[in-house]
Amino acid sequence: MSQYLPIVVMAILASIFAAGSFIASGIFAPKRPTAAKSAPYECGIVPRRGPAQRFPVRFYLVAMIFIIFDIEIVFLYPWAVAFHQLSTFGFVEVLVFAVAVFSSFVYLVGNGALDWGPKKRLQPLVEDETESISSELVA
Amino acid sequence: MSGLVQVINSAPALMASVAIHFPSVQYGDLVPELALLVGALVAMVSSALARTKDISFPYTGIGIVTVVLAGVWSYHLSTIVASSGPKAIVAGAMAVDGFSTFLMVLIAVSLLLVILLAEAFIYEVGSRGPDFVALLLLSGSGAMFMASAEDLLVLFVGLEILSIALYVLVAYCAQVTLSREAAFKYFILGGFSSAILLYGIALTYGATGTTNIGQIALFLSQNTLTSNGVLLGGMALIIVGLGFKIAAVPFQLWTPDVYQGAPTTVTGYMASVAKAGGFAGLLRVLYVSFQTVRIDWRPVILVMCVLTLFTGSILALVQRDVKRLLAYSSINHAGFILIGLYVATQSSLGDSLYYVFAYSIMAIGSFGCVSIIGHLKGSTEGPLDIDSLRGLAREHPRLAVVFAILLVAQSGAPFTIGFLAKFSVVSAAALGQHYELAVLAMLSAVIAVYFYLRVVFAMYRPPLTADTEGESGLTLTDDSGDVMIEEDGALDQGDLLTVTRSRTIPVAASLSVGLALAMTIGFGIVANPLISFASSAIPLH
Repeated sequence: MSQYLPIVVMAILASIFAAGSFIASGIFAPKRPTAAKSAPYECGIVPRRGPAQRFPVRFYLVAMIFIIFDIEIVFLYPWAVAFHQLSTFGFVEVLVFAVAVFSSFVYLVGNGALDWGPKKRLQPLVEDETESISSELVA
Repeated sequence: MSGLVQVINSAPALMASVAIHFPSVQYGDLVPELALLVGALVAMVSSALARTKDISFPYTGIGIVTVVLAGVWSYHLSTIVASSGPKAIVAGAMAVDGFSTFLMVLIAVSLLLVILLAEAFIYEVGSRGPDFVALLLLSGSGAMFMASAEDLLVLFVGLEILSIALYVLVAYCAQVTLSREAAFKYFILGGFSSAILLYGIALTYGATGTTNIGQIALFLSQNTLTSNGVLLGGMALIIVGLGFKIAAVPFQLWTPDVYQGAPTTVTGYMASVAKAGGFAGLLRVLYVSFQTVRIDWRPVILVMCVLTLFTGSILALVQRDVKRLLAYSSINHAGFILIGLYVATQSSLGDSLYYVFAYSIMAIGSFGCVSIIGHLKGSTEGPLDIDSLRGLAREHPRLAVVFAILLVAQSGAPFTIGFLAKFSVVSAAALGQHYELAVLAMLSAVIAVYFYLRVVFAMYRPPLTADTEGESGLTLTDDSGDVMIEEDGALDQGDLLTVTRSRTIPVAASLSVGLALAMTIGFGIVANPLISFASSAIPLH
């Protein structure tokens, strides 16, 4: 156990230092808050308006695609290392696995995960009235 | 440090020297699970490639074909088991025995009913296209893996396949706030219970040195643990983890909210297949693995069983929503199923499985009726107040009769599957000389009759608005005949209007509910096939 003693001493010293800093700054620091001081600090620039409330985040679809291939590589890499030992059985199993993973990729693409343009939506929020109106105007 | 270097250096040599033993896989034994997985993949890919997402029946067709294949093949496996005995497959990780094949047939039948119901309703409100079938098949395959798991890790993986797809299914109508809340609760508590189960598996592994269900039993029969704290901890955590899935008290708190908020079809699925999966795990692990230490887990199961019986039946009395009421009734039924586990003999296990089968069929039928009634009342797949059932018998007499029969069957009326199920578990308790438990079970059944009949009476009472209309009509007739005729004409017109406005019952839904009803009554009158099938549902070892 004695070999752990330095770690224990270090942990105690660290805690004392952390607690001591907080206590010391609480006791000694002058407290004269002004409006500018208590405003949230953002790179020194005074915020003029609140952050945008809703904006389209497509990260979750990207994250899903990432996870699909991430999981695939997690299994493919050890398989590749042990390819010769795993022989035909391993090959067939990995093939089945790859087909399953690929079909989930097909599903994602089929549902518009890679349509990055502003036009296409996964689910249209409203019927496209503007398009029909504009086509009437053109006609 | 030098030791570490040695280990690292020797690792490639070690790897090269160890030959990998492949399990011999007879794929014929895995057809039910594989069929569902392949069906799910086919449905998923074809829905992705299809131009339009408005057509649902091809996917329903895919679902029905795979489910029927899985069910028929499961039955085929059960006949093989009956003739040549149970066996462990895939290097002892899974089992083909009476227990697994019985549950797989049950899962396939339940899936068939749920797919038909979904075809009728879910696409109307889900607005998410036909992914439903893919998720349902995936989830069902998870339940089948649980039913045939002979290894705790396979059980866990099966539970995850079942649950993860089910989280999405519960959130299928995510635009409804109630549904979102239900999905969130189910997700959080489901993840929580999975973690607890996994910890229990880890502790059991620590105590016995194996995760194989048969090997654990072997180890415990050959060795006596001098300090069995780790084993008891593992056992307790496994009971808690699976207790969440079967909604046994005190792990039932999520049930009413989730059952109410989920789309009614999904609720029917949860009550049948998800519960069957949970019970498959609980029955097999406790009965087989921990057979020699049953003195430790049986008191726990007894307390859970009695609490579940009474919490379910008493809290159901005060519910105002039909789906919540059926959720508490499902808790009550879980108590009955636990009786067979508490008695813990081979025949009582069969009684429990028979009860699982009976309850699944009746539950899907009842939730199917709730689906239909909700659809007719204009809140498809949503919650359903008991008062809104009033007058149903006048408008839709056949539907009311069917729903009444299914509810009365759940309460244990004779000539139905529900009576035989209750009779078998209670008589198992009596045979095991647990007379107090048998009396308590019957007492809770009597309480349960009241709330089932409450729903039935609600259907056969006149609607609230019609009451007042009738009274006003009577007072008018006293005044003069002309007014009466006018009033009658107005009423007729009103009736016509409601007839044209009211929706029709979809064919698929009536087919599903009709099948459930046929099985409820059919297996209640011609009881022998199912009872003998259930009594042959013996786990391996």
